Amino acid sequence: MKKFLIVLFSILWTVDLSAQTGNLDFMHSTGKIYVVIAVLVAIFFGIIGFLVYLERKLTKLESLIED
Amino acid sequence: MENKLWWKLLCVPILLYVIIVGLSVPLSPGITSMSQYTAYTGQTFTVSVATYNTFHTKAKEVKARLRKDTSLFIAAQNVKVIDDNNIEVTFSIPTFLPSSKKQERFSLDVDNDFDGYGTLPGKFIIKQNNIDSIVGAKVWKNTNFGNLNKRGTNFPFRGLLFETIRNTFFHVPLWFGMLFLFLGATWNSFMYLRTQDQDRDRRAEVMTMVGLVFGLLGIVTGMLWAKATWGTYWTWKEIKLNMTAIALLIYFAYFVLRNAFDDLEKRARIAAVYNMFAFVAALILINVIPRMTDSLHPGSGGNPAFGSEDMDNTLRMVFYPAIIGWTLLGFWIATIYYRALNIEEKYLERED
Amino acid sequence: MNTIQEIWFLFRKELTLEFRQKYAISGILLYVFSTIFVVYTSTFDADPKQWNILFWIIVLFASVNTATKSFVQESGSSQLYYYSLVNPVAIIISKMLYNTLLLLVLNFLAYGVFSLVLGSPVRDFQLFFIAIFLASLGFSITFTFISAISSKADNSASLMAILGFPIVIPIVMELVKVSQNALPGSFDSAINEDIMILLAIDLLLGGAALMLFPFLWRD
Repeated sequence: MKKFLIVLFSILWTVDLSAQTGNLDFMHSTGKIYVVIAVLVAIFFGIIGFLVYLERKLTKLESLIED
Repeated sequence: MENKLWWKLLCVPILLYVIIVGLSVPLSPGITSMSQYTAYTGQTFTVSVATYNTFHTKAKEVKARLRKDTSLFIAAQNVKVIDDNNIEVTFSIPTFLPSSKKQERFSLDVDNDFDGYGTLPGKFIIKQNNIDSIVGAKVWKNTNFGNLNKRGTNFPFRGLLFETIRNTFFHVPLWFGMLFLFLGATWNSFMYLRTQDQDRDRRAEVMTMVGLVFGLLGIVTGMLWAKATWGTYWTWKEIKLNMTAIALLIYFAYFVLRNAFDDLEKRARIAAVYNMFAFVAALILINVIPRMTDSLHPGSGGNPAFGSEDMDNTLRMVFYPAIIGWTLLGFWIATIYYRALNIEEKYLERED
Repeated sequence: MNTIQEIWFLFRKELTLEFRQKYAISGILLYVFSTIFVVYTSTFDADPKQWNILFWIIVLFASVNTATKSFVQESGSSQLYYYSLVNPVAIIISKMLYNTLLLLVLNFLAYGVFSLVLGSPVRDFQLFFIAIFLASLGFSITFTFISAISSKADNSASLMAILGFPIVIPIVMELVKVSQNALPGSFDSAINEDIMILLAIDLLLGGAALMLFPFLWRD
């Protein structure tokens, strides 16, 4: 379960961020294009979150092999 | 396969195409609102119409019509351009409607030679007290409108959705990617049960893991999209949303199950059995149940999700590559994780 | 012995054991009675919709409790003994049949007590009994198989809940929909389609369980 926390946290953080950056007026302006941007940002953070998880996994592996 | 680079790099141009084309192709002209939505027969009135993504000032001629179907319509008497996105249209409604009902729904078409035409389907209601559909049909058939102007290459305009129709290339393919990854995991679980090869178990594990990440992203992007169109992040009335959330719970349980065993062989075997069972259950959840109930998603209640109504050819030209691109990316991420697990495994073997 | 004889033999064994111990049935009955009593003291006049959902929730939890016992109570040595004797498919089929029967009895009893205490708004008995039958079949198939999986782990009771509930949700949803139609206040002409879907879900999960169980069994 702990494995998913990093990914989950980063995604939820993105959602929270996008909710804070704009009230609805901003998100609905210019034909709601910022919703598409928010979706892309969420995917970006999700993938980065998984990369961070992999990174930590590999760091652990490296220290294991060096010992 | 997992060490080959070509298919991983293949997803880069595909996703680049998806993002660039998906974000830069304009929407077709659309009608966002009218100052009134009802009228009576015999009335002459002026309605102000707000349009989206139009350049009326650059057009030579702006036309409008109220239409029942492709042959029955009346043209506007006069169209006055206020600015690029606002016009005032004057209609004179004939005495009879081409209908034997007390009221009938009509679509509004706004057309100019610069943008092409835009439609507000079935929103405008005209009421009549006296009914004579034969005379009505004659009058409504005889108006001169000319041909509609052609539109350029663009994505369809939908009320409520606006530009978020582009999320079709970012939100929807995540689900397809997730399904393909889960399918891959199921295949590897099946192969594990046949061969007892621990390598197959690792493949199944990483594909499930990345599939789960894709599923979570699908939920999050779906929530953002839902907030902009339905007005809420989460609704218990929306069956697809809740069913996919439960499908993800099933796969969360897969990792809980894995952690419950210490013995590698036993863990791999039971995880493989559960994974295959979970795929059957998840397919029922995602594909069978949502079709039985009304849903806010397009294409629910019996129809396939991407029928001709919801997808036009321009959308498809980006949507299909998007599915391939995101799926390849998913498998790429999975292989990196898989190789990390492989190294760990080899190291632990050498330790022993 | 061929497979059908094996199934019949194992099925009788389960029944005999149950009649001798009366452990499962009495425990479950106690559970059903006490939950219904709690429901009774808190809601006196449930409308048909609430009645329906309360009924299925109680049936669901009673079913989990019943089916959990089917593999967890088997000790390791007796499992080994079966494995050397009979076809694993016969084991899972006999367990599923036995659980279906047990749940059928249990669900009808629960319905009886429920209608005694809270009254019965059921209008279309045929449809409601079809729903109860399909519920017993579906719950028995799912929970028997999940119980087989979780019995392999140490902490099987909590694993049972984690694995079982998400998988059984589509069945519960269809059940509520079908049985709702047997109550006054709602009518859906396409209900036969829902019954077929429910049956299809049961058979699909059952088929998957039968195919996968032999892999689970060998230790």
